[in-house]
Amino acid sequence: MTEVKAVEIKAKLIPIYIMGKKYEVPETLTIMKAIEYAGYQYIRGCGCRGGVCGACSTVYRKPGSYKIMSGLACQTVVEPEMYLTQIPFYPAIRSTYTFEKLTGKPEEVFDLYHELFRCVACNACSKVCPMDVEVMDYIAALKRGDIKAAAEISFDCIQCGLCASRCMGELPQYHIAQLARRINGRYLTPQAEHLKTMVANIEAGRYQESLTGLKVMDINMLKETYTAREMEPATGGEDWIPKENIGL
Amino acid sequence: MKISYYPGCTLKTKAKNLESSALACLDALGVEYEELPRWNCCGAVYSLSDDDLIHLIAPVRDLIRVQEQGFDTVLTLCSMCYNTLARANELMKNDEVKRGTINDFMDEEPDYKGEIKVVHFLDFIRDEIGWDKLKANVKNPLNGMKLAPYYGCTLLRPGDVSIDKSNSPVVFEECMEALGAEIVKFPKAIECCGSYQVLGNPEAALKVSNDIITEATAFGAEAMALTCPLCDYNLGHRQEEMLKKYEGTKALPMFYFTQLMAVALGVDPENYNLDLNQAVSQEFLKGKNLLEKVST
Amino acid sequence: MPYPEQLKELIKVVESTRAERVARKKKNEEVPFLSLDARTDRLKYHPDFKDEGRHELSIGPSKGYKIAHEMAEVLEAHSRVNPADVDLSKTDYETDVLILGGGGAGTSAAILAAEQGCKVIIATKLRHGDANTMMAEGGIQAATKGHKDSPYFHYLDIMGGGHFNNVPELAETLANNAPGAIKWLESQGCNFSKYPDGTMKTIHGGGTSRKRMHYAADITGAEIMRTIRDEARNHSDDIQVLEFSPAVELILNEKGECAGAVLYNMETEEYITVKAKSIIMATGGSGRLHIQGFMTTNHYGATADGIVMAYRAGVKICFLHTVQYHPTGIVFPEQAEGILITEKFRGSGANLVNIEGQQFVNEREPRDVEAASIIKECIEDGKGIPTPTGKVGIWLDSPMIEDLAGPGTVEREFPGKFILYKRFGIDISKEPMLIYPTLHYQNGGLEFKNTGHTSLPGLFVAGEVGGGIHGENRLMGNSLLDIIVYGRIAGKSAADFANENVNGSKLSLEHVVKYNEEADKAGIAKDKVAPMLLPNYTDARTREKQLTSHYVGNMR
Ligand SMILES: Cc1cc2nc3c(=O)[nH]c(=O)nc-3n(C[C@H](O)[C@H](O)[C@H](O)COP(=O)(O)OP(=O)(O)OC[C@H]3O[C@@H](n4cnc5c(N)ncnc54)[C@H](O)[C@@H]3O)c2cc1C
Ligand code: FES
Repeated sequence: MTEVKAVEIKAKLIPIYIMGKKYEVPETLTIMKAIEYAGYQYIRGCGCRGGVCGACSTVYRKPGSYKIMSGLACQTVVEPEMYLTQIPFYPAIRSTYTFEKLTGKPEEVFDLYHELFRCVACNACSKVCPMDVEVMDYIAALKRGDIKAAAEISFDCIQCGLCASRCMGELPQYHIAQLARRINGRYLTPQAEHLKTMVANIEAGRYQESLTGLKVMDINMLKETYTAREMEPATGGEDWIPKENIGL
Repeated sequence: MKISYYPGCTLKTKAKNLESSALACLDALGVEYEELPRWNCCGAVYSLSDDDLIHLIAPVRDLIRVQEQGFDTVLTLCSMCYNTLARANELMKNDEVKRGTINDFMDEEPDYKGEIKVVHFLDFIRDEIGWDKLKANVKNPLNGMKLAPYYGCTLLRPGDVSIDKSNSPVVFEECMEALGAEIVKFPKAIECCGSYQVLGNPEAALKVSNDIITEATAFGAEAMALTCPLCDYNLGHRQEEMLKKYEGTKALPMFYFTQLMAVALGVDPENYNLDLNQAVSQEFLKGKNLLEKVST
Repeated sequence: MPYPEQLKELIKVVESTRAERVARKKKNEEVPFLSLDARTDRLKYHPDFKDEGRHELSIGPSKGYKIAHEMAEVLEAHSRVNPADVDLSKTDYETDVLILGGGGAGTSAAILAAEQGCKVIIATKLRHGDANTMMAEGGIQAATKGHKDSPYFHYLDIMGGGHFNNVPELAETLANNAPGAIKWLESQGCNFSKYPDGTMKTIHGGGTSRKRMHYAADITGAEIMRTIRDEARNHSDDIQVLEFSPAVELILNEKGECAGAVLYNMETEEYITVKAKSIIMATGGSGRLHIQGFMTTNHYGATADGIVMAYRAGVKICFLHTVQYHPTGIVFPEQAEGILITEKFRGSGANLVNIEGQQFVNEREPRDVEAASIIKECIEDGKGIPTPTGKVGIWLDSPMIEDLAGPGTVEREFPGKFILYKRFGIDISKEPMLIYPTLHYQNGGLEFKNTGHTSLPGLFVAGEVGGGIHGENRLMGNSLLDIIVYGRIAGKSAADFANENVNGSKLSLEHVVKYNEEADKAGIAKDKVAPMLLPNYTDARTREKQLTSHYVGNMR
């Protein structure tokens, strides 16, 4: 089992307010580790611990400013006097759809998410986004039917939901962005030709013989074949071709 | 010269023909333009409620983007966008208290005091290009086309943002005349097409639109020039309904004025999305032999 | 926090050798790869080879197998819940296919099973998608470019990376189904990084002979996870997701088949039962066991639960004697400790550099060799860089990428890591990163076949919880691949099983009772319980003061 180690108190302790209650925590910790240091065990509000899952969105204020600040608890270092809460969940309605039946027309997005047009460009969403995504800009892009731009602008979204929590138009931005990205990936970006060809070749059994050859090969022979395999150079271009065409 | 331009959402979807033709004309006239790199919907309609400042956030933000882009003038194509942006701009220029409130709210943006000039394509051509230069560039005059320019409301009202004299404007007629058209003036040219009433009260809107079309026809028009996607929806896309409902109404071809300008300037029809216009309109241009001339 | 002065001084050494290293890279003059013998030698520095770190399993189907203490401990532990307390006469949920784990393997399996007409329940520990899959950055392998690559070469690389001990059929199925998996993801709308004509961009990874690593900027796993999760949500009529409800035991029926699971609602602290016609184990890895005290890249819920449950139900384990340490985890700044720096940095040309500014290993060796080399350089040769927090690390020279591929490349290709470091005041397009190996991947796991079947009828396996595909060492990019390939296979097989099989009616936890008895006999302390579910990071001083708290394992 995980050893429960006492955190060496070498770092200076600073006061933070977790949901209004004061705790002294080492100044080098992230908000997440500080909350654990304070004695909480997470069930909600903690997922990847690496800044990509969006489970740990946190809002806070600092003395002397009316500003709402935001961050990911697992990524943001504590600051003295910060006054914080995590928002582990915020309701947002997602529309279901049959992906196969979409075609990539803007109207499809409009139909699934009428509320798009309730955006008044207040920008609260972009301001609160812990990933610095320009949320308002992708919503603006979608309103004018530019799904590709929306997909690109929203690419770093981790779907933490803070945008939706701040939206006066009550939009579920991150669900809409997810739809935009999928439409972009499938309908607005050319599908890879080499992939189609390869799948067809495999289905036609083109590589089966050479592969079976390897599978039944004596281990020493396999090791030799492995060592002798030609390496594609690191800096070569797309069109590099190996000298021999065994296995191709 | 180079100018910043604000397209507006509808021009990126339903009214691509307005944008593509306008840009083709700018190319033909040698005007350089640069679309705002970041922009949002203008709000679509200027809010009339006195303390509804939140709806001004969107257009003011767009004006700030123009400043960010490094321009002092922004060109609009859609008359609704023009109206919304221009009015928001007037307010920011003149109403110190509301300006303060709005700037305070948008504390992540630089303060804005109404420094940008908002122009519409029509007054831009009039003031910056001039009718003479426009005429000189015409390769394919609209000779013999009996054309009724229709302003609608938002280019002319309220007075402080009107691109011409509110009650007796001439800019649209002069522009079309420079392209060689025979102008049909008619009183309802500056009346409302029904606008957003189409959502709440479609029947009433249809009646208003029908009155406009029948009057223009009665004055001898064989085609109408428009500046606004909403007018195009009410007057153009709903014509079939009118024809069914009102006896005596005749189909009237509709064009964005920029499309007609593009025809006259000899731009290849590929470039202004005639396919988005009604069939009657496409037929009309063909009948006038205006398209063939371009392609030869 | 930004680099302190003493590190800034050391960075100057790195800068002084950079131009020359970039020039060599451009000319393709690499530090040579180690021969197979030299690799074996180098691996002595790998943590797996420390004998004091392991012990023999005293109970269960793989009794006598020697694996890391931390893993052995959870495998030998008692059940969390007394089987006698669970009322199996009526179950809380009933479904066709029950999937344990809502990561990439579980979710792709769910979509496939639903497509076969099955009703599916996914029970998962945290939220749907809070999983290792979400965290994968670098890419996913597949031989998709026929002019230079094929499943033949992919297979060779997989086997070589795994020290030729992989289960050949598992590796073959992986290589053969790889392009189809990518195609499926593309058709689901995954945004892979592409050239304008739709050709996918591909790069090298450690141990690849051909550039076949496909990626979606530096958040490949997140892009895959969020896309297939979205698709699963489109099937909400058929796929029900129970979040914060990890499984704690499998349930069998009178025919000895797997027929359900006991779940624990961590929020209400209730135990609930699910009856199903077939079960897919997709609970992922075990980084949070912190083997040998290493920091880890894994998500919060990676605690080997699936292995524990299936082991009790009689499924053997394999390849758990090796654990993958990712060569490049962050050691400084402290706040980001353990976080992974994707191999793609090295694939894009960044050198590993010691305190003297010298490159000491080829950056594209298999992971175990790479990690062992870094440990050797630091511990044996004393050429590591001491950090202000008393650790030691090696430089990963990211600014080289800007010199090789043009300014702005680092921010464009690695937006996630660029922002992460920016928050700490470090610009990785100008300053190198300090890294050290970190606990990353569970190479082994439950024994299973290339159809997803296990020795326990009705139980299927997909993803990191399974062992054998990657032998003793997985190559980067083959795991995201494995969860899609085997997730889909398990989804299909489990659905077929559910569609064909008449469900037994008598549910039982007898196997758990027996296992507890075995544990007792072996003298395992009663307070050792598993599955662990979550690690506990509460400070020891705080725990001492929790005078009335009752802990079952790590959970209060
Ligand atoms: C930081 C990082 C980077 C990586 N980068 C790459 C890469 O670039 N390329 C690559 O190929 N691979 C990479 N990997 C490895 C790869 O991401 C994982 O091995 C793979 O995604 C595992 O998928 P999975 O579905 O098997 O497990 P996971 O995605 O971890 O999903 C398992 C799920 O089961 C849940 N669970 C756990 N216990 C229980 C329980 N008792 N009951 C119910 N649910 C439970 C978990 O919470 C989780 O949601 C990376 C891994 C990490 C951590
Ligand atoms: S825990 Fe996943 S983003 Fe913080």
